Amino acid sequence: MASYDLTPQIAPNLDRHLVFPLLEFLQERQLHPDEQILKAKIELLNKTNMVDYAMDIHKSLYHTDDVPQDMIERRAEVVARLKALEDAAAPLVSFLQNPNAVQELRADKHYNLQMLNDRYQIGPDQIEALYQYAKFQFECGNYSGAADYLYQYRALCTNSERGLSALWGKLAAEILMQNWDIALEELNRLKEIIDSKSFSSPLNQVQSRIWLMHWSLFIFFNHENGRTQIIDLFNQEKYLNAIQTSSPHLLRYLATAFIVNKRRRPQFKDFIKVIQQEQCSYKDPITEFLTCVYFYYDFDGAQKKMRECEEVILNDPFLGKRVEEGNFSTVPLRDEFLENARLFIFETYCRIHQRIDMGVLAEKLNLNYEEAERWIVNLIQNSKLDAKIDSKTGTVLMEPNHPNVYEQLIDHTKALQGRTYKLVSQLLEQAQAPAQAAR
Amino acid sequence: MASRFWTQGGSDTEEEESDFEDEIENVGAAETTGTAAGSRYLQANASDSDDSDGQKRVVRSAKDKRFEEMTVTVDQMKNAMKINDWVSLQESFDKINKQLEKVMRVTESDRVPNLYIKCLIMLEDFLAEALANKEAKKKMSSSNHKALNSMKQKLKKNNKQYEELINKYRENPESEEDKHEDEDEDEESDGSGSEFEDPSQLGESTDEEDETEEPDDDAADGAWEKKLSKKDKLMDREFKKDPSEITWDTVNKKFKEVVAARGRKGTGRFEQVEQLTFLTKVAKTPAQKLEILFSVISAQFDVNPGLSGHMPINVWKKCVQNMLVILDILVQYPNIVVDDMVEPDENETQKGADYNGTIRVWGNLVAFLERIDNEFFKSLQCIDPHTREYVERLRDEPMFLVLAQNVQEYLERVDDLKSAAKVALRCVELIYYKPQEVYDAMRKLAELSEAADGEKDCDEPKVEESRGPSAFVVTPELVSRKPTFPENSRSLMDILVSLIYKNGDERTKARAMLCDIYHHALFDEFSIARDLLLMSHLQDNIQHMDVSTQILFNRAMAQVGLCAFRVGLIAEGHGCLSELYSGGRVKELLAQGVSQSRYHEKTPEQERLERRRQMPYHMHINLELLEAVHLICAMLLEVPNMASNTLDSKRKIISKTFRRLLEVSERQTFTGPPENVRDHVMAATRALCKGDFQKAFDVINSLDVWKLLRNQENVLEMLKAKIKEEALRTYLFTYCSSYESLSLDQLTKMFDLTEAQTHSIVSQMMINEELHASWDQPTRCIVFHDVEHSRLQALAFQLTEKLSVLAESNERAVEARIGGGGLDLPLRRRDNQEYAAGPAAVGGRWQDFTFTQGRQGTSGRSGYSAGGRPLALGQAAAAGYSRDRSGKSRGTGGYYGRTGSGMRGSQMDASARMVSLNRGVRG
Repeated sequence: MASYDLTPQIAPNLDRHLVFPLLEFLQERQLHPDEQILKAKIELLNKTNMVDYAMDIHKSLYHTDDVPQDMIERRAEVVARLKALEDAAAPLVSFLQNPNAVQELRADKHYNLQMLNDRYQIGPDQIEALYQYAKFQFECGNYSGAADYLYQYRALCTNSERGLSALWGKLAAEILMQNWDIALEELNRLKEIIDSKSFSSPLNQVQSRIWLMHWSLFIFFNHENGRTQIIDLFNQEKYLNAIQTSSPHLLRYLATAFIVNKRRRPQFKDFIKVIQQEQCSYKDPITEFLTCVYFYYDFDGAQKKMRECEEVILNDPFLGKRVEEGNFSTVPLRDEFLENARLFIFETYCRIHQRIDMGVLAEKLNLNYEEAERWIVNLIQNSKLDAKIDSKTGTVLMEPNHPNVYEQLIDHTKALQGRTYKLVSQLLEQAQAPAQAAR
Repeated sequence: MASRFWTQGGSDTEEEESDFEDEIENVGAAETTGTAAGSRYLQANASDSDDSDGQKRVVRSAKDKRFEEMTVTVDQMKNAMKINDWVSLQESFDKINKQLEKVMRVTESDRVPNLYIKCLIMLEDFLAEALANKEAKKKMSSSNHKALNSMKQKLKKNNKQYEELINKYRENPESEEDKHEDEDEDEESDGSGSEFEDPSQLGESTDEEDETEEPDDDAADGAWEKKLSKKDKLMDREFKKDPSEITWDTVNKKFKEVVAARGRKGTGRFEQVEQLTFLTKVAKTPAQKLEILFSVISAQFDVNPGLSGHMPINVWKKCVQNMLVILDILVQYPNIVVDDMVEPDENETQKGADYNGTIRVWGNLVAFLERIDNEFFKSLQCIDPHTREYVERLRDEPMFLVLAQNVQEYLERVDDLKSAAKVALRCVELIYYKPQEVYDAMRKLAELSEAADGEKDCDEPKVEESRGPSAFVVTPELVSRKPTFPENSRSLMDILVSLIYKNGDERTKARAMLCDIYHHALFDEFSIARDLLLMSHLQDNIQHMDVSTQILFNRAMAQVGLCAFRVGLIAEGHGCLSELYSGGRVKELLAQGVSQSRYHEKTPEQERLERRRQMPYHMHINLELLEAVHLICAMLLEVPNMASNTLDSKRKIISKTFRRLLEVSERQTFTGPPENVRDHVMAATRALCKGDFQKAFDVINSLDVWKLLRNQENVLEMLKAKIKEEALRTYLFTYCSSYESLSLDQLTKMFDLTEAQTHSIVSQMMINEELHASWDQPTRCIVFHDVEHSRLQALAFQLTEKLSVLAESNERAVEARIGGGGLDLPLRRRDNQEYAAGPAAVGGRWQDFTFTQGRQGTSGRSGYSAGGRPLALGQAAAAGYSRDRSGKSRGTGGYYGRTGSGMRGSQMDASARMVSLNRGVRG
């Protein structure tokens, strides 16, 4: 199952700190030997300032109480640097902690800078120090502090490059604190900047988009509205192109989102084509499931894939999120996925059949006969399915679905009237405008 | 007269004779000297004894006389050649033949004198020249022309007898030089035929000359040119006599003098090369040697003045050798910098080998290399590809690659990555079209020839060096003379291409990208090739590039199309190839031949340009295979499409070309057995229309182009599967009305498909609403629904459709006037957005113009049959259909602009109209 683990593909597109949750998850699922994961963690921590944490892991990895010398040295260094940065940023921080003083700030950035400079002797150097300090805090794992400082820094900074990286930092901090609502806001802000900004090179822009998408996975699979929003974001032409060119593995998440969402059919068809096209560069059970159902109409294959999908979902850090309910945990997404996938199969199956044996159907749906019958009855009752059950022969009969010719004709012509009317009114408007001008 | 000349015969230079040209009465004599001098000279060289005539002449006066007669005739012929007078040439030819008999009788031997053979060769060459030069031929007077033709016949007949001797003579290196010299001279109008002998002398003997020859300073002459050459000689001798006295100054002075003579009338190009080559040997400092070597190469480039002809091959080879020597020097003395931007100091080259600072020498390695490559390309264009010569020439490719690799290495070392990228591109362009087998062969050849050459190479330079008594600056061979090729051509491409992407300029990058795409396609990596094409946006802006890049683009597209076919992506393959074929000028678009157009006569200028950009034969994409693939793709797409809309003729046509061909073949009263590719595909189409997949496949299988494919079996297997599938579809479309139900088993048996396949295909058709039917699962049958509309209903539908078209065109008209934006019909807006998004998107355009074929096919089809669907959808589909149409023609237009040389006016206009309409809508 480890072969469907996307961590190696995803990790390079994430911030160091964002990889931790993934590793935690992997550790929990025990897909890889514990030792490897711990080593990976230390590796990750080496470049950050979370030295204490690294020491703990080191201890548990090698079952000793000794800590390598370089870690201790590093710790001292980090502490010293923290001190220095704190001092540098102190004037601004104390200013910001004073609510009265903060009230003096206005919407006008220039004014603010001027005011800070005049009245508090806070110049660009201090502001820069604030950024460095925030960054350092983030590196140390103090995400909430970092988020606060970055927020304030953004209000004061004039350098757009810096502002952008502050925004990235803020997003990461919010994600790590699991403030999904705020994170989503930041995400949208960032997206706007990325889309609007004239990047130095298109390549850069594509790269930013890919990062954004990777980071957003945290948000979308935790936020309540995430599953629709992920489609909104990923399925945009530009983002879809970015996925296709550089990170096709993201298709898994988009595909899952599509399956879990019942609406949005128009985009869905196009998406199937994309999956079809990218088959050579990426496939996993989830995308294969879609091709089976919507391209090859191979329902037995879809069946098999569905079972595999379950595994994949359980082992994916984003999809396999567990919810503890009482004393047992469930993976809500899995249940939803299976339910919807079943519906997908059934729906397509029904579209091309006029009579189906219930036994076969039950088998195809991974249900027993009774359940299948109940399920179909439900569907019929919810008027999702135009069918009848013939219980004597044990078959489902589809009602033929031929729209009335006359209705069609009416519908064809109905819009014409509106269009023509609009056309005429527009013409008249146009004609009147010059006439008025002439008068 | 003659004897007087003989006394001074040793001091022959071509200037001497060319000087006498105008003095008609002297000409004969002078020429006599020319030729006789040659023999005399040979005589003086006791070692050269194979020339029997010289010696015998002394013995027998009768023979002597005959010979003289003959030489006179030869001279007359030369004169006739000069003025292109074929009538007198013919007479002389007859005369010389008679004289030959006499000579033979006199000498009493059966050996034909060399003089005669030489003359024959000269004639032959001149004749070939004249025949090749069509313009001049046209200008000839009728009598002259007639003479030319009869001469051609005669010479052919005559030469057959002496074929062996001629060949022997030609193979002789000296005579080969003659020949080339000859060609060159004939090209220039003022070239004198008499020159033809001298270079050989010069070529082989500048060095020996001075040792063996008597000094003849006292020979009197009036021509200043002769004086000059005299002075040369003196100078040379001066160099020879006391090597120690040669200083940098003398060499420099001499060098300047020779260079100054460049391009002047009457300066022999070969001679200049020789003089300069000689100077390289006496150069005092490495920098000076370098400087002179650059001039040597320039002079070698000058050897062939015309744009149309190519550089003589042996000169080309020498040129490459010189370049290598340059590189040797540069590697040996890293402080020497080659630069063409700064005018270097006058005495810069005086600085000796021990000088430590940088020495600047004027020169441009990249330009030279590119020129050498161009000459190579041109020579391949000119040589008849069916001759041995062509193959021989192709063998020189590794030689060039060595040079390119070395230059590239050097440039990388001096950190001139921009130029290195240019050089890398040249390499890429030599490699990209080679399949692995050819690449391997080249590699092996390089290794082999290097092994053999290695020894020869070692000897050769030594000989050269030793011959020149005073090579002051000895250059060891530092750069490798052996190309290094990785195992896999892909890895080589990767290395080169990534260098170019990093450092090249726009054009270089674009070309490298196209080569890369081509190469990937060649190796059956369709998706990579496609992605590269998409990401590079090349199809968007290729029309702004130069013609040769456009040709490269077309070649890449053709190859991508072939690749798509090989991997079984029929729709994509058709998308790539259909544009190429819709104009009926594939040859022109791929630069693999000149296509004659009935309607529009090309000016000679255009024709020449076109000829110049032709691809050499070994780079061609097999047109028959291409056509077969295109037509088969079209057939597989079009046949079911036709079957599905038999009733409605105006429905979507996927391939117009194919339809037209089909119409033509249907119009025939009798259809014979298929002969060409087209006939085969048409025969297969007829079978496929009836659902007879076996026959269709057999017909296609019998094409002999398939043996050009590497994995022939797999491709044919794939093709068979595809034909089965399409046959099934066609069958269902055609005969669905005759069935109430049809069992899956029967279908599987009929079309020899697996159950799963059949099920999948039929299900697809049902989902796409192409087939009004559904499965009856318990009995495994297809049950057909009767959804045929009555006549009245059908007409009503047609009416509504027409109405909506009318409304649409009204809206467009109004919007175009008003400027749009006013009509916010949801449907339209969506279209526009999509259009707007198209170009901005990374892959938007491409999909528009290739994949759309397949995709729009399905969407169009579903649009058509949307009659049987919920209402709102029906309309959406109709609108979608019209959008598809405009979108497609836009793509087409763009492609056209790109491909051709902007000559397909009509389509361009049409598409332009569509685009502008859309724009109006948008704005």
